[in-house]
Amino acid sequence: MASHGVGETGLSDSGPSNHHLPYAAIHGINTPSTSFFNQEGSSFDFGELEEAVLQGVKIRSDEAKAPLFRPAATLEMFPPWPIRFQQTPRVGSSKSGGESSDSGSAVNTLSSKAEAQLDPESPISKKASSSDHQSFDQKHLQLQQHQQQIEMASDTSRTGGPSELNTSPAKPPQEKRKGSTSEKQLDAKTLRRLAQNREAARKSRLRKKAYVQQLESSRIKLTQLEQDLQRARQQGLFLGGCGGAGGNMSSGAAIFDMEYARWLEDDHRHMSELRTGLQAHLSDGDLRVIVDRYISHYDEIFRLKGVAAKSDVFHLITGMWSTPAERCFLWMGGFRPSELIKMLTSQLDPLTQQQLMGIYSLQHSSQQAEEALSQGLEQLQQSLIDTIATGPVIDGMQQMAVALGKLANLEGFVRQADNLRQQTLHQLRRILTVRQAARCFLVIGEYYGRLRALSSLWASLPRESLMGEENTCQATTDLQMVQPPQNHFSNI
Amino acid sequence: MYQTESSWGSYMPPRNVGDPLERIERLASENAVVIFSISTCCMCHAIKRLFCGMGVNPTVHELDEDPRGKEMEKALMRLLGSSSAVPVVFIGGKLVGAMDRVMASHINGTLVPLLKDAGALWL
Repeated sequence: MASHGVGETGLSDSGPSNHHLPYAAIHGINTPSTSFFNQEGSSFDFGELEEAVLQGVKIRSDEAKAPLFRPAATLEMFPPWPIRFQQTPRVGSSKSGGESSDSGSAVNTLSSKAEAQLDPESPISKKASSSDHQSFDQKHLQLQQHQQQIEMASDTSRTGGPSELNTSPAKPPQEKRKGSTSEKQLDAKTLRRLAQNREAARKSRLRKKAYVQQLESSRIKLTQLEQDLQRARQQGLFLGGCGGAGGNMSSGAAIFDMEYARWLEDDHRHMSELRTGLQAHLSDGDLRVIVDRYISHYDEIFRLKGVAAKSDVFHLITGMWSTPAERCFLWMGGFRPSELIKMLTSQLDPLTQQQLMGIYSLQHSSQQAEEALSQGLEQLQQSLIDTIATGPVIDGMQQMAVALGKLANLEGFVRQADNLRQQTLHQLRRILTVRQAARCFLVIGEYYGRLRALSSLWASLPRESLMGEENTCQATTDLQMVQPPQNHFSNI
Repeated sequence: MYQTESSWGSYMPPRNVGDPLERIERLASENAVVIFSISTCCMCHAIKRLFCGMGVNPTVHELDEDPRGKEMEKALMRLLGSSSAVPVVFIGGKLVGAMDRVMASHINGTLVPLLKDAGALWL
């Protein structure tokens, strides 16, 4: 809320006494007292004034609002943006008066702004100093004078006459003349304009009120949703639904997702280190440090997955923590080691004969281990089916308890699968030289990076563009954009 | 690695014939590859599939079908320092370990030589 001490004081002082007469002056179109309002004749055009006012308002919208508050309040008849508007007593419109700090529709009729114009010196002098607002200032000054005249005329306690207005410092002679000739006379055009202003002001206030009400109800709805979410989470009702959606995840899953996101950032950093290390042709000793750090980085994610498997094995095994493309090729909650090695063999050249044999034997043994684990999991499935699907339900709870016990074995399988992945990476490190290992891990990191990028790209492309013949080219070029050049390995 | 019998005497209260650990050790030395298992355990099934897939013919002792199986289970838990007793693999009478150890040794290439040395695997 704007806190302009001087203005506020002045405002509150003059407020009550000035409320009614200007309003009456405007609305009392048929009364002779409406001659309070001035009309200078042909040289002064309200439409021109309004235009200049709006223009000035637009210019000033970016400037500090506080010092411009008072004059701006007068001029912003139709402001499209929420401005800081001081609490001023409104003539006959109590609505916007109460909404001071964020008044989006600080639209006041000329009459009601009369009260606001009590501290003309500072804004006027301020504006007088800005040369590009010269004509605007003049018009504004004029406007202020009008309002002052209204106040002056209506306030019986005041003794100031028109002559006071004419002595305003920043006034050019032309304006002076206009000011002195202003009589309190309203013509039809002015009245119509004023009525329109009032109407617009009222509409703005209503709009603002509706908007604020909408905000309030949204806020209440939001807090209710948050409470529901909290309650549901505690009850553990939500299993991993859509990946990444906070609404239907267990706390263990949510925690893991956060840690995984952090791990991905670290991964990016490690990859940059590897890349620069290779390009800079670091010594083997230095490179080894980087490579070993990368291995520890992978050890970390396997450790985190182990913890997550205890609290929410389904989240891991269904791959909800990973992207759709990765999920598509998921094996037991992660990558399939033999597939990874297959992908690597072509990119690890040149390898010695011994290394090549080591790699193939690694691939072979990991395949066997994967097969064994898969068969174990199949047996688990079968056992579970036997427990819950067959026979009459004699003791439902007992049956469920047994089934739960069997389901608990899932954790063991995910752990063993992660163990297999970890051992595979360690063995790769043993088989390869430091430089080869650095390249190898860079390849792995970039491969999964591209899979993730593929997932986001897929999600962002509209379905239609992937269907038609003529559009597949576009889709492919889009995809090509995300692929970094593949041949930089050979340079290293 | 499980090597000698006497080292266990200080841990366990001396029993007669019925010492489960002794029995385990005795059973383990009877064959090249000995697996202690429970018939309903899926991880045991996986480890059996692993050895069979490698062309090894392991000797499997299902503890749930053994009258003294319960105490052997407990003894194995103590031996491994783990909450699950099975599966446990002995090769050439020597303890290799549970599933994670077996897989790690297969990946790092030490399992096959071990099997060959024990005569469980031929070229």
